[in-house]
Amino acid sequence: MVNSSNQPTTKRRHWVASVRRIYRGDGPYWAMLLPLLVFVVVVAIYPLLFSFRISLFKYRLTDPDQVQTFIGLSNYLRAFLDPAVLNAIKVTLVYVAGTVIVELVLGLGLASLLASEMRMTRTIRAFLLIPMALPPLVVGLVWKSLYNADFGVIPYYLKQIGIGVGRGPLAELGWAMPAVILIDVWQWAPLMMIIFLAGLKSLPVEPYEAAYADGATRWDRFAFITLPLLKPTILLALLLRTMQSFKVFDTIYATTGGGPGSVTTVLNFHIYTVGMTFFDMGYAAALANILMVIIAVLSIVYIMLLERQQL
Amino acid sequence: MMNKTSPLEKAVMAILIVLAITFFMMPVFWLVTTAFKFGREAFAIPPKWLFFDFTLRNFQEVLATSKTGQFILNSIIISTGATVLSLVLGVPAGYAIARSNSRLLNLSAYFFLLLLMVPPVAMLIPFYLIMRDIHLLGSYAALIILDTVFDAAFVVWMMRSYFADVPKEIEEAAFVDGASHFSAFLRIALPLSIPGVVAAALYVIIYSWNDFLFALMLTSPQTKTIPLGILSSFSSVEVSWGKMAVMCLFAIAPALIISLFLNRYFVQGVTMGATKG
Repeated sequence: MVNSSNQPTTKRRHWVASVRRIYRGDGPYWAMLLPLLVFVVVVAIYPLLFSFRISLFKYRLTDPDQVQTFIGLSNYLRAFLDPAVLNAIKVTLVYVAGTVIVELVLGLGLASLLASEMRMTRTIRAFLLIPMALPPLVVGLVWKSLYNADFGVIPYYLKQIGIGVGRGPLAELGWAMPAVILIDVWQWAPLMMIIFLAGLKSLPVEPYEAAYADGATRWDRFAFITLPLLKPTILLALLLRTMQSFKVFDTIYATTGGGPGSVTTVLNFHIYTVGMTFFDMGYAAALANILMVIIAVLSIVYIMLLERQQL
Repeated sequence: MMNKTSPLEKAVMAILIVLAITFFMMPVFWLVTTAFKFGREAFAIPPKWLFFDFTLRNFQEVLATSKTGQFILNSIIISTGATVLSLVLGVPAGYAIARSNSRLLNLSAYFFLLLLMVPPVAMLIPFYLIMRDIHLLGSYAALIILDTVFDAAFVVWMMRSYFADVPKEIEEAAFVDGASHFSAFLRIALPLSIPGVVAAALYVIIYSWNDFLFALMLTSPQTKTIPLGILSSFSSVEVSWGKMAVMCLFAIAPALIISLFLNRYFVQGVTMGATKG
């Protein structure tokens, strides 16, 4: 009993001392961080808390008197029974897996093709940077016109080799998803490439020399040296692209608008529709929070994998 | 370095490189050439890649009739505002995190990383309601502030790893001479880190310039940025790919300049943000 009554005060003293120590040594550093911290708390943390609050309410902007009725977790429960949401989650997972896997393979391929430091490859690499710097909306519009059934370039050439695509790739149930995945791949595979190029440059030379002495083939060296050494970089690139792919909006908006039917309605797009077209703010906020949790869980998994890699 | 490449391998690699260039450059090439094709020329079948009637009529008509100038000006105001604000807030914060020995300060870097992972739509919904309540919907400020949340988080995360690579010794010498932390930052660390700041700035410019979702919800007809301008100009009237392509060219101009002429900085921004833990 004596101990337990004593402990809080020592703990408290310890706490006060450490605050004082932080302040004395790092006061100026805290002062440099403070403006940003205040800014972020006001314009990011407050809205996120506000978003959690409205997710507990029935709150439609279309109601004439805009009443907010407290309904507890009903919006969240509703989400798990809503076929549109379950479909959107499924579509999102297909989209994310499709884009990230294809971009990974293509990015690795491009990085190994263009790894040399010749003037030519450097120029080619600069040109390959263009897609990822473009506004995704413009990328969507350009591909939409390339895919156009009547005068688009892609259906024209597909027809030439005997593949008919009916109303165009974006309007056919079976084609729409691969078509939007291709747009994402076009824009973001080069990002994987530059991350891998940075990774390749930092690899040690010795294993390659040893392998060369042992007569390993080009493929052996890639599969048994490059890939294992590149694993942390690959995980990082996967983490980055998975997070970004979950957030796709602009290209879907510009091309399919979620259709045909709802085969390309990713969760992010669905939330936008619920919130900004139907103005069902409480439900949209709940869905956005669910998306945030999905992304957070996935990032934690990736980060744990990464940590294990670096040990 | 030490691999002998057989002629066959060389040929295969050359073919693959040509295929890659074709795939990645074809849409850009198509967009640029379409801007110079007027009317039906733009959707000629079979497609005219090289030999078409070259004309500047699309440029004349777009500049004469549409509000393109205003859209471009709005985009410039908003991306400049977001870039300046996120650098002013983010660069000193990145320096503080890199230099401080406080564990709490070091850990705050992860807080900004988490912020970067928040889906934009999750931030947009409450932000839209708050901006509506304080009558800032449609103002430049609303968009600049929301862009800055994500931009500044990126700047902190990137500058932290940049400053960590700048040697501390010069600053420590300055401390001995009685310099304050602030003057060490402003007079020594910052000038040494200009390439990093440029890389962060380019990245932020591109991302605020390209933003569409936030602008879609937060701008008014007077503050529309160029991506929205493109959409609104061509959703109601008859579709003219040629004119759309002209507006798209204005929208992609910064991307082209930065990726072709400032690519060293751009690559640095992207890889440092991504690879340095």
